[in-house]
Amino acid sequence: MLLILFSATFLVLVLRRDEIAVAAILFSFFSVCYMLLNPDIMVVRFGGWLPPFGIVWVLDKFNLFFALIVTGVSSFVAVYSLKYIKERRYRFYTLLCLQTIGLLGISLTGDIFNLYVFFEILSVSSYALVAFFLDKRAIEGAFKYLIAGSLTSTFILIGIGMLYGLTGTLNFADLASKVSLASPYIVALGLMIAGFSLKATIIPFHAWKPDAIEGTPAPVGAVFTTASTAIGVYGILRILFIFNLIQLNWVLILFGVFTMLVGAFMALAQVNVKRMLAYSGISQIGYVVMASGFGTLLGLTAGMYHLFNNAILKSILFMGAGIAIYVTGKDNLNGMGMRNTPLMVCMGIGLLSLSGIPPLNGFVSKWLIFMASWEISPVLTALAIIASAITLAYSFKIFSAIFLTTERVEKDVPKILLIPVVILTIICVLIGVFPQIGMNIVEPAANALLNHSQYITAVMGG
Amino acid sequence: MLEIYAGMVLVALIGIYCVVRKKNMIKKVIGLGVLTNSVHLLLITIGFQENGIPPIVTPTNIEYFVRYAVDPLPQALVLTSIVIQLSVTALALGIVILAYRGTKTLDMEKLNNLRG
Repeated sequence: MLLILFSATFLVLVLRRDEIAVAAILFSFFSVCYMLLNPDIMVVRFGGWLPPFGIVWVLDKFNLFFALIVTGVSSFVAVYSLKYIKERRYRFYTLLCLQTIGLLGISLTGDIFNLYVFFEILSVSSYALVAFFLDKRAIEGAFKYLIAGSLTSTFILIGIGMLYGLTGTLNFADLASKVSLASPYIVALGLMIAGFSLKATIIPFHAWKPDAIEGTPAPVGAVFTTASTAIGVYGILRILFIFNLIQLNWVLILFGVFTMLVGAFMALAQVNVKRMLAYSGISQIGYVVMASGFGTLLGLTAGMYHLFNNAILKSILFMGAGIAIYVTGKDNLNGMGMRNTPLMVCMGIGLLSLSGIPPLNGFVSKWLIFMASWEISPVLTALAIIASAITLAYSFKIFSAIFLTTERVEKDVPKILLIPVVILTIICVLIGVFPQIGMNIVEPAANALLNHSQYITAVMGG
Repeated sequence: MLEIYAGMVLVALIGIYCVVRKKNMIKKVIGLGVLTNSVHLLLITIGFQENGIPPIVTPTNIEYFVRYAVDPLPQALVLTSIVIQLSVTALALGIVILAYRGTKTLDMEKLNNLRG
């Protein structure tokens, strides 16, 4: 699968045909879907070496859940960008393919250095994607992201080096039996978690994101706020749970609450639509991190369900806002008014769902988060509801700025831009009405994370 | 060994200082290079052994190999990491050139327009 993506990357660059990239990304999406049907944990050993030595890839439900988010978002973005990106399109698709490779590799690998390599593939391609428009804002965002990103990936490398020096192994499953709560391990894992927090944009590490997203094409913004944050969360959760660091969960809850509230307030203050959506994404990640920090099955399920829904919703919103930018040519909230009924319905549903109005999918996962937090402390529930109310406020700000202004640009919207948005909206409503559909994917994933002994035995024994 | 670790921490601190405090964009990129190289030093030191031999197995030297060879894995990691660092640096310098063409300055503070 990855081989096909790799070769597609080169083919796109050489032949300058974008359809190859779209086909490759769609193919990887469907193969991940197919693998989700398989009940067992699959282990791929490269070069025939037995696990503590060679590189392994592990495909359990938790990994595949993230692979599903990543490839799903990437495929919608790939279809959407066929029209949205007007010039130098083959370069865009080369970078998009590379980014998908990085994201997919991180979510599937079971080896920490392999993980670092894919992390860098992801980082390098996303720096280049941020700078894609080559205007002043894009360059500035890209440079800031590059500095911040390289600093933290160096932290990850230091963490990996320390772990290797202490245990002499690079395999997740093998490490799990050797890592204890002694202080050098905590330092090493802390450095790695800090590195992933940058990708997940938990608040002290968030500063690059709005700057980077303001300059990027809108569909890339969708990938950043959904797929790469999901990967960051994946890294944090994987490290915390496989090494049994559940005692440190209060840190996650604290940062999660902080991220949730600050992100929401910052979103309210923005005038640029991409920036506002970026802060909104940060705020939603706060929910995810807080809920996952509870460490209970309900909390984890709620958090990951919210991550899944956030992926759908943020894709709708970024692509919808992207259409408005495409039509009006502006991304400031003043002056991007337009009229298009299907888009208005989709964006309206997306925004309502984001603020947790029933019967949409955002409500399902937020309700689960409220229930999970009620078990821990009612104060957290209250804070979550406050952040949700602020979400409603800025959602309305976006909606009125685009659809309810008097000065409108009257122009046709290309069909291929609308199709992904409409499909995602239908999924959004479907999950809202039948929450069990999403539950069937999320619950095995949360279970797989909690029962990590299965993961270890699958890798090591046999 | 301890001196090398201390040196590594020192080099890493210099790198971080350079990235965070310097205003010149090229100096920031150099700082990144210094920082990454300190990590390479750490990795190499982990695999190092006194009086070590190159880790090459021949049919006759298995016992000698087990006792004296340096750990080859960190060296492989460092090679990979150097390649990655090269590409990141190249990209960073490319962005710096574009920024310079746009603004005719390398001062990060003058470039910094996105806030809030």
